[in-house]
Amino acid sequence: MKKTVSRLALATGAAAAALAACGPQEDVREVNIFSARHYASDEVVFNAFTEETGIRVNLVEAGGDLLIERVRADGERSPADLIITVDAGRLQRAEEANLFQPVGDLGGAFDQLPDSLKHPEGLWFGFATRARVIAYAPDRVDPSEIAHYGDIANPEFEGRVCARSSNNVYNQSTLAAMIANEGVEATEAFARGVVANMAREPQGGDTDQIIAIAAGECDVALVNHYYFARLARSDDPEQRAVAEATAITFPEFRSGGTHINVTGVGMGANAPNRDEAEEFMRFLLSDTAQRAFAELTNEIPAMPGVEYDNDVLDGFGAFNADDVNISELGRNAAEAQRIFDRAGWQ
Amino acid sequence: MAVSDAPYRASPPRARRAGPNPVWLAVAGAVICAAPLIAVAALAVFGGWTDYFEHIARTRLTTYVVNTLLVGATAAVIAGAGGTLAAWMVARYRFFGRGAYEWLLALPLAMPAYAAAYGWYDLTSAAGPLSFLPTVRGPFGAGLIFGLTFYPYVYLLAREAFAGQSVEAYDAARTLGCGPRSAFTRAALPLARPAIAAGLALVVMEALADFGTVVHLGAPTLSVGLMRAWAGEGSLPDAARLALILVSIAFVIFFLERLMRRRARQSASSGRRRPPQRVALSAPLSALAAILCAVPILAGLVIPLARLGWRAMHAPVARGLGEAAWNTVLLSGLSGMIAAGLGLSFAYALRTRRRRAAFAARLAGLGYAVPGAVAAVGVLGLLGWVQGGLDDVWRAATGGPFPVLLTGGIIALVFAYQSRFVAAAIGPSESALSRVTPTLDHAARSLGAKPMEVAWRVHWPLISSGAALAGLLVFVEVMKELPATMILRPFNFNTLAVTAHNYAHDERLGEAALPALVLVLIALGPMIWIARRITRTEAARREAEADLAERTGAGWQ
Repeated sequence: MKKTVSRLALATGAAAAALAACGPQEDVREVNIFSARHYASDEVVFNAFTEETGIRVNLVEAGGDLLIERVRADGERSPADLIITVDAGRLQRAEEANLFQPVGDLGGAFDQLPDSLKHPEGLWFGFATRARVIAYAPDRVDPSEIAHYGDIANPEFEGRVCARSSNNVYNQSTLAAMIANEGVEATEAFARGVVANMAREPQGGDTDQIIAIAAGECDVALVNHYYFARLARSDDPEQRAVAEATAITFPEFRSGGTHINVTGVGMGANAPNRDEAEEFMRFLLSDTAQRAFAELTNEIPAMPGVEYDNDVLDGFGAFNADDVNISELGRNAAEAQRIFDRAGWQ
Repeated sequence: MAVSDAPYRASPPRARRAGPNPVWLAVAGAVICAAPLIAVAALAVFGGWTDYFEHIARTRLTTYVVNTLLVGATAAVIAGAGGTLAAWMVARYRFFGRGAYEWLLALPLAMPAYAAAYGWYDLTSAAGPLSFLPTVRGPFGAGLIFGLTFYPYVYLLAREAFAGQSVEAYDAARTLGCGPRSAFTRAALPLARPAIAAGLALVVMEALADFGTVVHLGAPTLSVGLMRAWAGEGSLPDAARLALILVSIAFVIFFLERLMRRRARQSASSGRRRPPQRVALSAPLSALAAILCAVPILAGLVIPLARLGWRAMHAPVARGLGEAAWNTVLLSGLSGMIAAGLGLSFAYALRTRRRRAAFAARLAGLGYAVPGAVAAVGVLGLLGWVQGGLDDVWRAATGGPFPVLLTGGIIALVFAYQSRFVAAAIGPSESALSRVTPTLDHAARSLGAKPMEVAWRVHWPLISSGAALAGLLVFVEVMKELPATMILRPFNFNTLAVTAHNYAHDERLGEAALPALVLVLIALGPMIWIARRITRTEAARREAEADLAERTGAGWQ
């Protein structure tokens, strides 16, 4: 026992020393990224960035809310150069906590971004987008029946709707966008209608809803477009079969436009590596990175006119994205959640 | 757990016990461990008030409370019955595969509950291969998952208790005409009740603090309400207030557990102990026992993991697993050893039966009931505050800020783990130390041993398995921990749990399988070691008792 303990202690001591020794070296250029994203495309993009610029990427991944608390707690000591979240609401909250600083025009790239995808004062912007779509069973539903989000709240869909928990940030942002488009009352009526139409209590993730439709448990569900694309492009025949038995359509709000959310980035207010951070932001909007998001994670590039090779994504065709500025999503987030609570959407 | 009453009544309550009395150490340790929780409480008290509480009380609070009770009760029933039964079989009977089951039965503890939930849900939902079974969902489904992944707490503690129990009470009950079943419920079970209660308290608190599992299975508990206050409403103070409600529930659980132990005192066992002889089972019964013991292992670990693994066949292999595994072992090992030390010092402090000690132990244990993310916020707030103070002092002295950033370091992580998991170490340490009778101390002292010598030469051989068990429980907890690890870790530092969670969270179950499997494999080594160690400690205990009895020249009562 004694021997084992001392050997273990020795090993851990040595390891701790080794860890302490590999701190940042002075002549290495680096950028510190706090990210709420963990997608297959990220590693590719990070590596390509390091290869192109020689700047090392230091990464911490955690949930958006925790990232904000960490940067807030560290204050002026924060090592965060860039904060990336998968939801505009979180970016908004980080901005309200004064965690961001404005950046330059990123070599002109910033101006090319659609206005709806960037903060009015340039404190943050979205670099990849995802649409909240309706997955449906093509043999039981005609896409014309679900041209609007509000349609799945209609009595015709009683017992035919699958839904994910309202804890999910994508559901929350959809409702937040609906508030911006159609107002609080219409949004609450929508939430109540969906709850009344649910085929089962909310459970599982987006993929689980699509699987449930394929299995015949329900006919429609709100999902992010890339979960369907991932199933359709899977190596697993079982998953491809799920995609073949289902389809997605890009519904619109009554006032027009399909809801999109962003993966966005802002520069830390106390960023120690400002230049490197700006270079990284520029890289995120480059063709290389934008193409990786489209090809590896089936996201819709934020930059217009980016060429990529992804049949499934192309197959969705053009759609009319909601042009409400995404900073609205953060502003309506709290109200959206209260509507879920009142409607009894678990 | 935070309990000071030992299951014997051989001495008056405040009798001096030999050995170290580190009450002040325990109090200091408790304050440090509870500091993040105190930071959360401060947030709850001083944070701004909105009408969120009123809103939640009008809309969802009833659902949250009902679900919390259902989930907790279901988990307790399954873990209590399964864990106790398994412990009894392994401790008292000889059957096919008993030696392997002794440690295999502890393994589901290494399976993160959310991973088991993802696997079972995937299997039993409408499109799954086991869709003929009821879908594992809702409060009972979530309770089932917690019961299956956390029953090893009950099993490990109860097994130690059954193994160390004198069989005389059981035998006496048998000679007095009790059947095996009633002898078990009337003699053996009451003696093991403190250990079972300690295990159950851990199970229930795990269930209360969980977030990922209950969301996925559609059973929103209070911890979901708490996370919604934070994530949706953006009100950290309201989240902190709901966290305090959870902590109060934990306090009640501690209280009930304490009550259990007090009752258990009346079933004192003193006197010469006879080692329990394992009863050989007939061939059909032996097969039945082997099958029964296999059920929890299959349901808690093998089946959900196999489902994830099956999904992994079509998924790319997760990368950087070697490094993540090493980081996991480093963090968990270090934290486990420190926790074992802390647990022992709390146990010794509790042994003095001072109120301060009991209070300290309970205070230190409360962090266990708080959802990990909130605990992490407490740690962040505390570290930020300490950092500010250090920077000010340093600036006054040298003109620059303090050279070290507290967050993002191994030390911050180890601190966060202790404050959250030390409860899991106090229980086993105390349970082990409570079986060192004061008579043993007195005998050693009368033979001229000094207090530390008593601790080292008499206590340690008897309690080392309990201390090792305490370290192991924390080791496994830290292996699975997510929120604090994610937010406090250094740059580019991954653990297996983080890797598995990142994939599962992005609905890539297949890629989550391999890191989860490696997690379980890493837990395997310590589990086997512990199982062997408990067996050896029992032998040591018997020897020491026989030896002392001989030296003092009398059978000691």
